[in-house]
Amino acid sequence: MRFLTDTLAKKLWLTVTAAIFITILYSYLLSYLFYEKLYVENVEESLLEEGLALASDYEGGPLTDELKEQVVWYNTKADSDVFIVNNPRELSACFPFEMNYDSLINGKEREELLKGNPLFKSGYEDRFNGRIMAVIVPLLDEDRLEGIIYLYLPLEKISDITKDFAYLWMLAAFLFLVVAMISGTVLVKRMTRPLLEMKYATERVSKGDYSVNIKNQSEDEIGQLAHAFNHMADSIREEDERKREFLANVSHELRTPISYVKGYSDALKSGMVTNQEDYQKYLQLIHREAGRMERLVGDLLDLSKLETDEYQLVKMPLPLAQLIEDALQKYLPKIAEKHLTLEYDLDPDIIINADEGRIEQIIQNIIDNALNYTEQGGLSLHLYRTENGCCIELEDSGIGIPPEDIEKIKQRFYRVNKARTRADGGTGLGLAIAEKLVNLHEGELTLDSTFGAGTVVRIFLPIIDE
Amino acid sequence: MSNLYKLFYLLAFTGFLTACHPEHYQPIDSDANIAATINIKDMTVSFIDIDSREKITDWAVHKPYTGGIIFPDRDTFLLYGSQLETADLYSLSTGEIIGQWEVGEGIVNGLLLENKKEIAFVNENDNYIHFVDLKGKESSKMTTEKDPFTVTQSADGSKMYVLSFNHEVLSVIDLQQMQRLDGFKIHSFAAGALLLDDQNELWVGGHGEGIDIERNIHIYDATTGELKKKIAVPTMPVDFAVMDDSVYIVSHGSNTLYKVAKEGEVLDSKIIGANPFTIKALDNELLVAGYDSSDVHFINPDDLRANKSVKVGSGPFQIVLREKK
Repeated sequence: MRFLTDTLAKKLWLTVTAAIFITILYSYLLSYLFYEKLYVENVEESLLEEGLALASDYEGGPLTDELKEQVVWYNTKADSDVFIVNNPRELSACFPFEMNYDSLINGKEREELLKGNPLFKSGYEDRFNGRIMAVIVPLLDEDRLEGIIYLYLPLEKISDITKDFAYLWMLAAFLFLVVAMISGTVLVKRMTRPLLEMKYATERVSKGDYSVNIKNQSEDEIGQLAHAFNHMADSIREEDERKREFLANVSHELRTPISYVKGYSDALKSGMVTNQEDYQKYLQLIHREAGRMERLVGDLLDLSKLETDEYQLVKMPLPLAQLIEDALQKYLPKIAEKHLTLEYDLDPDIIINADEGRIEQIIQNIIDNALNYTEQGGLSLHLYRTENGCCIELEDSGIGIPPEDIEKIKQRFYRVNKARTRADGGTGLGLAIAEKLVNLHEGELTLDSTFGAGTVVRIFLPIIDE
Repeated sequence: MSNLYKLFYLLAFTGFLTACHPEHYQPIDSDANIAATINIKDMTVSFIDIDSREKITDWAVHKPYTGGIIFPDRDTFLLYGSQLETADLYSLSTGEIIGQWEVGEGIVNGLLLENKKEIAFVNENDNYIHFVDLKGKESSKMTTEKDPFTVTQSADGSKMYVLSFNHEVLSVIDLQQMQRLDGFKIHSFAAGALLLDDQNELWVGGHGEGIDIERNIHIYDATTGELKKKIAVPTMPVDFAVMDDSVYIVSHGSNTLYKVAKEGEVLDSKIIGANPFTIKALDNELLVAGYDSSDVHFINPDDLRANKSVKVGSGPFQIVLREKK
């Protein structure tokens, strides 16, 4: 049986075929029943009509020879067998006495006939040595059952007719079955073809070929599945590309400080540096680059942790204005050094439920970014209440971001300026980490920028309502 | 308790009382001359006042009785049936059952002997005639041929003739000596018999065998068993009555009543009722019961016309008379 059910197509085909077969069988049985019932009823009715018509010639009193002859004559012409009986023995007239005689009608039937009701019989009758269908019409003279007209048809005749009908039916059913099976096969093939295509496509994807594209025009579930599959393949391809790019970025970012460290340490080792001032300068450079590497690795670690579900925030109620103000203190010397202005306006009533260290990290990352790209003008920081929470808004007068890059700026290592220098000391991961952290706090980070005029970073966070 | 509950309990209690009480039927006036018909189809007994020619009542006995005997005391009414274990005794004057005799199944006929002290029960199961006194005690029994049905006795009460239904031998019993005499061969499927003592003739009817239906009565010599003649009274003559010099015969196959002179000449015939099985002679009238028409006809014996017809229960099979002393 297994070879019959090893594919969906076969299963579907089997189901369709079985359904068709059962339907045909069931309708055959039903119509056979109805047909027989209708036919039998019809025969019964026509027998009764014949009988009543013959009985209408009876005018009372003992049966006349003329009437008997009429019935005999009629019998030679009619399809059914007809006879007339007036033998009281056959009519069970002696019923209370045990006559040991198998009468045409029994005592009970005689009672029914005495009431003037015709009798219907169907089944085996010893007298006729077979199955018959009969109608018995009483010939009554007042209360006297003077005779009966017995009309019958062998049931074999009826089965003959139903047999013809059955052959016709079987032929039609066979033709229908063949047509239905052929069309069913075609239909099932059409239905399962996209599934097969998908199977091959999956095999290609698992081998690393993401360029698959299943062509399926239908809008049904299978069509939707094909569409979803194409989308999935695209996503995998994009993710794969991102991964490669990320690896390239990481190696590139690491190579710069390593080459610094290697170069300067080589110089120190070979004794090329002679004076103490250069020596200290080289050491300072090596130290700076090592620090950058440390930060880079730390950020990468943070990011990878943030991207897994295991990262846990330690949340507590925080006065956000205080936190921001403390963070700003660290940057005052640097701002002064770059001759920039700082203006801030913080709503002191805002309390959020957050991880203090992480929020601080977010603020540092965005201020770092702002300072790195602002050479003149200043920064302006606002904390205010919004409809659903609060917003930290940092505006700088820096170089801004071109509109085509604004969507990608939050990606890891993305840089507007493709020349990969890190003179500013950034790792290229700050904004990506900030956004992840904001999302972890159920907030949102948005960027709004005018190229050449400045950038506005807004961080929306939920607050604790008093 | 609500009124509905009270009514319910009252009804239940009434039902309980009636269930425990023996069946009580309408009493029959002791002075009335009656004809009772035992009706097979609806299992009733109908009573007709002979003088007024009106039905008195029906007793719905709900037992398959096929025959009955009214005792010489004019009150005890014995009813029997071949499917019943007992013969039941009713009091006509009170309408209550007063006794039961354990006679066993198979009683197809009963005859009060001329001595008025004994009843002969014909049992088709054990093929015996059981003689029982009026207290229900069996005094003797006589074996017969297989399937006895019809019995008749001589007017002096000396001999009894027993016809077997499926057997072509007639048994004769000497009632004085209580012994079986030599029987003689008769026609098959004989039913209904009349003994004409003065002519020493036994007139026997019948249904006929199989598809051949009986058209004649056969007249046998009551002593020798010699078939003296046949008289055509088609079809299926089954019961006889004698009045004056005529014998009246019902042929149920043709629903016909025949009037035949004792010498054998058919004098008259008329169609009466439907499927008549039984005839009885009154003082100056005949009673014929139609089994299919469920009626009893009062017949003028001269012209065989029905003076009056009375509807009775369904399927009257036997008429039992109680006339003036």
